[in-house]
Amino acid sequence: MPGEPAKRQKREEYKKTLIENDAALPKKKFYRQRAHANPFSDHSLTYPKSPADMDWASLYPTYAVEDKEQTTSRSHDNDEEEKSTAVKALTKNVEIADIGCGFGGLLFALAPNFPDTLMLGLEIRTSVTEYVQEKVRALRVQNAATGAYQNASCIRANTMKFLPNFFQKAQLTKIFLCFPDPHFKQRKHKARIVSYTLNSEYAYVLKPGAIVYTITDVQDLHEWMKGHFEKHPSFERVEKVFEEGEGKDGEGMDECVRLMRSETEEGKKVTRNNGMKYVACFRRLVDPAWP
Amino acid sequence: MTSPYQCLVARESTETGPGGWTLFGACGSTLVAQSSSGGTSAWTKPDDPVTETQPQDEETEGPPEKKVKLSQPPKQQKANFSNLIVSSDGRYLVGVTGEDKCIRVFETDITNQLRQLSERCMTRRPCSIALTSDDSTILCADKFGDVYSLPLLPSPDYQAPEAPAPEPTKEAEWVPSATVLTVHSGRNRKTLEDQLKQKKKGPAPPKDDMKFEHQLLLGHVSMLTDIVNAEVDTRRYIITADRDEHIRVSRGIPQAHIIEGFCFGHEAFISRLCLTQSGRLVSGGGDADLYVWDWQNFKLLEKLPLLDAVADHLKSRSELAVGEISKVAVSGIWSVAYQDEILVACEGVPALFSFKVGATTNSGSASTEFSSAIALKGNALDVAFLPISPTSSVVVVSIDHVHKPGSTKEAREDKDVSRLQCFSAEENGKWQEDSHTSEALKSFHDQVFDVEAGAIGGDDSATGNGKGLGSADDKALRDMLYNVENLRKRPGAED
Ligand SMILES: C[S@@+](CC[C@H](N)C(=O)[O-])C[C@H]1O[C@@H](n2cnc3c(N)ncnc32)[C@H](O)[C@@H]1O
Repeated sequence: MPGEPAKRQKREEYKKTLIENDAALPKKKFYRQRAHANPFSDHSLTYPKSPADMDWASLYPTYAVEDKEQTTSRSHDNDEEEKSTAVKALTKNVEIADIGCGFGGLLFALAPNFPDTLMLGLEIRTSVTEYVQEKVRALRVQNAATGAYQNASCIRANTMKFLPNFFQKAQLTKIFLCFPDPHFKQRKHKARIVSYTLNSEYAYVLKPGAIVYTITDVQDLHEWMKGHFEKHPSFERVEKVFEEGEGKDGEGMDECVRLMRSETEEGKKVTRNNGMKYVACFRRLVDPAWP
Repeated sequence: MTSPYQCLVARESTETGPGGWTLFGACGSTLVAQSSSGGTSAWTKPDDPVTETQPQDEETEGPPEKKVKLSQPPKQQKANFSNLIVSSDGRYLVGVTGEDKCIRVFETDITNQLRQLSERCMTRRPCSIALTSDDSTILCADKFGDVYSLPLLPSPDYQAPEAPAPEPTKEAEWVPSATVLTVHSGRNRKTLEDQLKQKKKGPAPPKDDMKFEHQLLLGHVSMLTDIVNAEVDTRRYIITADRDEHIRVSRGIPQAHIIEGFCFGHEAFISRLCLTQSGRLVSGGGDADLYVWDWQNFKLLEKLPLLDAVADHLKSRSELAVGEISKVAVSGIWSVAYQDEILVACEGVPALFSFKVGATTNSGSASTEFSSAIALKGNALDVAFLPISPTSSVVVVSIDHVHKPGSTKEAREDKDVSRLQCFSAEENGKWQEDSHTSEALKSFHDQVFDVEAGAIGGDDSATGNGKGLGSADDKALRDMLYNVENLRKRPGAED
C-alpha cells in the first residue's frame, strides 16, 4: 500500500497529470514501494488463465495482427476458437523476459539493442510496475518517429507462481534474473527466485539453446543460484568468456551481460558503492530422449 | 463419541478364495482392517507424546495459509491419518499422519494384521501420496509445493549423507552472507545485524532433518493438493495439482525435472485428480465444473456440470433443508473399476455423483454424460471399492455420522447412523444399496475409537450421549474431515 493518505493523494494527483502530458517521463519518487512482496501470498493478482488467454496486443499494439482477422474469429463464442486467435494476436511472440525487473533499467537498455525482439518485464510490486509502464508509454511517444520502445512492455506478475500462465513451452530465448531479493534467512530460502524446482519452470518456457542470465552482489546468493542451476540437468553453465570477456575491455563478453552489469538500477547502485558483481549464465539444453 | 472413518481403501485378498477382499479404514489415528472372511484387526499409533518437530517456523511461514501463531500449551498431539493408499500388489499400506507429517508403511499379512515397517517424518506436511506403478517408490506431494520420492521399503544399508557438521565455533571463518555492501533495504540491514550477532555463535545447523533416503523431484510455489502417477505405453508421468489452478504434467523418475506441459483452465483451486479407465484425466476443486482432459496433449475435452448436479440433488431432498448453493468443493473423485465411470464427492454433501466418461468417439471428442446421484445418509467422506468378482466391485462409502447431512458444522440429532454404506451396480448400471455387504462389514461399523483418546472400546461405550459440537475436539474433528473449502482464495487478500 502506498502509504499514508496525504502521500497517496499526492501520488494520485501526480498520476493524473501524466495522462495529459503524454511524453513526460514518470518520476520515480512517486512510485517507490516497500522492498519485499511475499511471493507465497495470494495478492489480488490478475493473470491469464493460460498463455492463450493473454491479451498481448494491448501491450505491444504496433505488433498486433490486423484488426479484421481478429474480430471475425473473436465473434465465435467458442473456447477453442478464441484460444487459437488469441495466440495469433501478435505478429511475433515475446522472447525476452526480465523477471523482477524493478524500475526497468535493463529493459530500457535492451529495447533499442534488440529492436525486433519483443521483451517483457515482470514485476510483483504494483507501483514499480506502473512506473515502468508509464515510462514505456512516454518513451514510445517521444520516439514515435522511429517506433522505438514498441518492443518493450511490463506487467505485474508473481512469476514464482504464474510464469507458465504467460509463456508457452519453449517460447523464450532469454530470461534475466538480475539482483534478485536475497532472502538471507535460511527459513526464507524457499522464497528465492532461483531453486532447483523453479528452474524446471524456467527450462519449460525456454527454447533449447536459450540463456538464463543471473547477476547479484551477494556472494552467498550467487553460490546458491550457481549450485541450483548446475545441479539441474536442463542447464549448463556458459563459457567464461561469455560472462567476463577477455582482456581489459572484456572482449567477447556477451552483449546482454554487459548491459546487465551496467544498466540495471541495482547494478548502478553496486557500482557506486564499489561492490562486487557476480555473474552466472546458463544455457538451456535439449531434453534427453524418454528413458 | 465415535468418529467417522476419514479414510478408506481396499485391496483384493485371494488367499481365502476368489472374490476375497480386505477393507482398511482410518479413524483418527487408528487403522482398522477387515477381510471378506470376517477377520479384523486394528493398529493404533503408540501413545507417545508427539513432540512437535518444528514448533512454529515451518507451519506458519509458508503458503498459503495465514500466519497464525498460536501459543498452545505443549499438548499431547494426536496424529490423525489424512491419506491411505495400498500398493498394487496389496501387500503394503501407506498412510500419512498429518500432524506429525509422517509417512507410515505397513505390511499386511493374510491374517490382516498390520505391522508398521517404517515411519518417516517429512519436514513439510504431506498433502497427497502416490506409488509408482512398480510399487517401489512413494511420491509425496507437500503443503509447500514440493514432491519427494522415497523408497517404499527403505534399504537397510542407506547412509544419510554426512550433514555438514555444525562447525565448532571457529569465529574467524564464518562470513555472514549479507555484507555492508549489500544494502537493499532496511530489512536486509536488520538481517545483517542479526547475522553479525549470529556470527558470534557460529552458523545455525542446517535444518534438513529427513535422515532417510529421499529425493526432491519437482516443486510448485503453491500448496500441492493431489499427485497422480501415470504410465502410458513405456512412458511414465507425474501429474500434480495445486491451489493456484495448475495441473502440471512432468515426466516420471528419473526425468521428473522435465515439465511436459500444463492443463490450463481451472479458475479456482484444484483439489482432486483422477485417471479414468480409458486414461482420461478428471480434475475438480472449487470450480462449478469438473474438467475432463486429454492430458498428454494438454487439451480440455469437456466440462462436467457438477455444481448443477449437486444443487439439483440437494433440492430434491427437501428433508435436508439445505438452501440454494452457489459453490462446491470436490473432496474426492474415484474411477470405478471395470467401467468408464467416476464417482465424485463434495465436501458436506450427503451423496455421491456418478458420471460416465466416454472413450473417444468417432468424432474424436469424448462423450460424457452425467448419470445419477447416489443419496447417502450422511456427508460422504471417502470411498473404497471391494473387488468382489473379476468384473465388478462394491462401493463402500464412509459417512459422517456426527454432523447433519448437508452441514459441516451442525451436530446431527439421530444417533445410531452407520459409518459405512455399501452399493453395488445393478444390470442397468444403477447403484443399489447392498445390505449384504453392509452386514459383512458389521464389525468394521462397530469398531469404536475416539479421535481424542484413540482408544478402541467395546460396542456400548460407543454412541454415548452426544455432547454438543462446540468443544476443541469437535473443531479438531471438523478440521480433519473438512479442509477442502478452506483452499478457496479470499478475494482482496493482501496486496
Ligand atoms: C532487488 S530488485 C532488482 C530489480 C532489477 N532487476 C535490477 O536489477 O535493478 C528485485 C525485484 O524483484 C521483484 N520480485 C521479487 N519476487 C518477485 C516475483 N515472485 N515475481 C516478480 N517479481 C518479483 C521485486 O519486487 C524487486 O523489484
